[in-house]
Amino acid sequence: MKLIFEKSIPGRDGFSLPSDLFEEIEIDKDIPEDFLDKNKKNLVEVSEVDVIRHFTKLSKLNYGVDDGLYPLGSCTMKYNPRINEKMASLGQFTHAHPLASIKMIQGSLEVMYQLNLLLCEITGMDQYTMAPASGAHGELTGNLIMRQYFVDHGEKRTKMLIPDSAHGTNPASAAMAGFEVIEIKSTSNGTVDLDALQNAMDEHTVGLMLTNPNTVGLYDGGIESIERIIHQKGGLLYYDGANLNASLGIMRPGDVGFDVVHLNLHKTFSTPHGGGGPGAGVIGVKERLIPYLPTPIIDYNANEKYFYLKDNGEKSIGMVRSFWGNFAVLVKTYAWILSLGPEYLYQASKTSIINANYVLKKLKKYYKPAYDQYCGHECTLTGREYKKYNIKTLHIAKRLMDYGIHPPTIYFPHFEPYAEETIMIEPPESESKENLDEFINVMIQISQEAESNPEILLSAPHNTPIGKTDDVLAVTKPILTYDDELRSIEQEK
Amino acid sequence: MRYIPSTEKQQVEMLKDIGVSCFEDLIQNVPKKFRLDKPLNLPPALSELELEEKITNLAKKNTDFYSTKPLIGAGAYRHFIPEAQKSLLQREEFWTCYTPYQPELSQGTLQSMFEFQSFIARLTKMDVIVPSIFDGASATAEAALMALRLTHRNKIIISKLIHPHYLKTIYTYLAPHHIEIIELPCQDGLTQMKQLEQILDESTAALIVQSPNFLGGIENLSQFSEMVHQKKALMIDIIAESMSLGILKAPGDLGVDIVAGNVQSFGMDLNLGGPYNAFLATKKQYIRQIPGRIAGETKDARGNRAFVMTFRAREQDIRREKATSNMCTNHNLNVVAANIYLSLMGTEGIYQYALLNAKMAHYLEKKLLKSGKFEKIFNYPYFNEFLIQYKGEIEELNQILSNHHFLPPLAVYPLIPEKKYENALLFAVTEIFNRNELDHITSILS
Repeated sequence: MKLIFEKSIPGRDGFSLPSDLFEEIEIDKDIPEDFLDKNKKNLVEVSEVDVIRHFTKLSKLNYGVDDGLYPLGSCTMKYNPRINEKMASLGQFTHAHPLASIKMIQGSLEVMYQLNLLLCEITGMDQYTMAPASGAHGELTGNLIMRQYFVDHGEKRTKMLIPDSAHGTNPASAAMAGFEVIEIKSTSNGTVDLDALQNAMDEHTVGLMLTNPNTVGLYDGGIESIERIIHQKGGLLYYDGANLNASLGIMRPGDVGFDVVHLNLHKTFSTPHGGGGPGAGVIGVKERLIPYLPTPIIDYNANEKYFYLKDNGEKSIGMVRSFWGNFAVLVKTYAWILSLGPEYLYQASKTSIINANYVLKKLKKYYKPAYDQYCGHECTLTGREYKKYNIKTLHIAKRLMDYGIHPPTIYFPHFEPYAEETIMIEPPESESKENLDEFINVMIQISQEAESNPEILLSAPHNTPIGKTDDVLAVTKPILTYDDELRSIEQEK
Repeated sequence: MRYIPSTEKQQVEMLKDIGVSCFEDLIQNVPKKFRLDKPLNLPPALSELELEEKITNLAKKNTDFYSTKPLIGAGAYRHFIPEAQKSLLQREEFWTCYTPYQPELSQGTLQSMFEFQSFIARLTKMDVIVPSIFDGASATAEAALMALRLTHRNKIIISKLIHPHYLKTIYTYLAPHHIEIIELPCQDGLTQMKQLEQILDESTAALIVQSPNFLGGIENLSQFSEMVHQKKALMIDIIAESMSLGILKAPGDLGVDIVAGNVQSFGMDLNLGGPYNAFLATKKQYIRQIPGRIAGETKDARGNRAFVMTFRAREQDIRREKATSNMCTNHNLNVVAANIYLSLMGTEGIYQYALLNAKMAHYLEKKLLKSGKFEKIFNYPYFNEFLIQYKGEIEELNQILSNHHFLPPLAVYPLIPEKKYENALLFAVTEIFNRNELDHITSILS
């Protein structure tokens, strides 16, 4: 499809101007010539109609949750309720300036204050910060909080334990917080190897970052021992909330003994992913860690009855971003929790667990599970049986597209020997049994194609807007802007 | 059940198919002592009508910001957003999808990233654009970390005149890494150049300057760049008000090596501070040290142009603790928002709007000075934001402006507690005002 730049016609425009352009002000008398660009920045010249058609066409090249099943493991692609979008788009919210006096933003502050209470109850934590903009941003914030805690207590702890099954953001965040990452192997059951953990944990170790259910979709049955091992040596336990969708109303990380929790509001709490954000990665902590949370905290003055932004004092890690949080995302989260209440929150997790186990049961004959046991809200299958036909899970994923279904997660997890050639399927509560049955049938059909007609998988996808992409070419001959492309065309001439 | 299509009857069937007698059999690995034995203590579910009423009532506890035009900016600017952009952003395909890991089903998002990168490259005259870091503050911190990796040095010099939240964020991000951070003071509203000569040395990784700076002043970036390059350090430019790019010289023409730019002004609502978006821009030779996601052009199996996320070997899902950053989910929908905005505005629109912003700000400043109630603090060049001394009581000014439905300018003293700023106000003026309103503001304050 053409780029917007290729639709540009000199003299066209897509904007409107007021009639009064303050012609009498000569800006080159106020701003020295040296600072002003002699030329206009060459962007594009298109009309509003061109723009509408261009982006409408572009949007049709995307596939979203509204288009159908989106069973990406560890991503919780659930339905994004429309009322939540409307609530976040109320003018009093969207036009609120972050530095307006607190008198003027009482409604917004109350939303954040109430949301904190709800999230504390759901997860068993004592206080949340609304600042982090994503899961990884929350991880960094959480790691910095743990670091600050030990600095404040005069302890030098430099290592962070992370299971080999963890998302890549965990080690990357720990490294950004200055920690040495120690990888803990998983057992053949997919859970943390307790002996390895015991051996690695010492007084120089900050603690453990754990996803539970873990990234292959399994509840870690050793959680009590894990908690004991970490806390006995004075460490802290970090909960990666990417998979909280298996736990609402079932288990609270705070009760298990986690000290720091991050929640992906754009996963469990139904706010849209937006093609890669914006989401929010709020961080909850136990009481002893509250002083280290980033500034500010939303508080309530009970005497004078107003909400305010409280500076979190000298022990705080400081600020992790500008202003207070991804407010629009917080409103949607608040709306979702209020819509579901305790009963439907529990039903959401229960349904997602039933869905995942149903898919696991129906497909295990065709795709050997990485671990043959009941799973949480996602199941991890493998495509190893089809290696003999030169078929990789990548090909299975691409073939799914031909049937109009978004592929599950196949790029992760990949740790030897258990999680090789995996297909991680997360069918959230908003997927009906009929949808799952259709998916199951297609997956079975693809497994048969892999044997009878592997070529059709190898060359898939066939009926998507574009064919398989050459990812190597994108690196060896980088074209990162339209001007790069123009230069490369010039060179070829 | 709310947003849950399967019925109880279906769930019973599914459990039977799975081969268990009850749901609890599926969660055997959750130790019994941790399993909740009673419902969460939360308010009961609200109907959609009840929810709408509840949240609308909360929103009403805010000032009616729609009809309260802000004279405050300070890193968050209210600009006009064309309806065509808002309408296009409603298309679910843009906002109900995930990060574009599967390019065959994500060309809309990927091409949009590519087009935005192309726009920013032309606005900044830089080669490589990372389209989305969360906001100006985190982008600034990522730029600092990038400079430390590129130079293997351990000192960062920062202008005191970068946005106070950005400054605080840099300290937070750098805290674990034993980096020497030196702040350059302000002189006449601009970053002091004299002192820089003494501080700059072979251990300096980068100098970070914001332009226009937090107090509105346009910095002499080319001179800073020249000084910094003499010590083989990197020049980092922060942009908090991207509209300024419409008329000001591009950082790429001023010797800048890395730009971190907040693009909230390109079609994003204020939203109490988020979500916004920021880009990172740099030179081609630094591409392997950039953080975050980037789109690139390639070909598909049918020989057609296609877009993918590229240079992925830097990223956390592949490199884990050795990645250039932990960035994963970013603010990609805001990339689409800015891309649509810039497409509508185009060459002429961005120029005209930027020019109008500057003219209106200068018009208001001149009017305020003429009124006798205000005094100049600095004699510096500025874009659409200026610092000015108020001769009366700030409390009183706030009251008057609020009564007339204007959001007062920023009193900078609480953020920069220096005596000379006790009565200083930072006004921001954008195209949302008109001459009548600016005249009205002057007259009610006189």
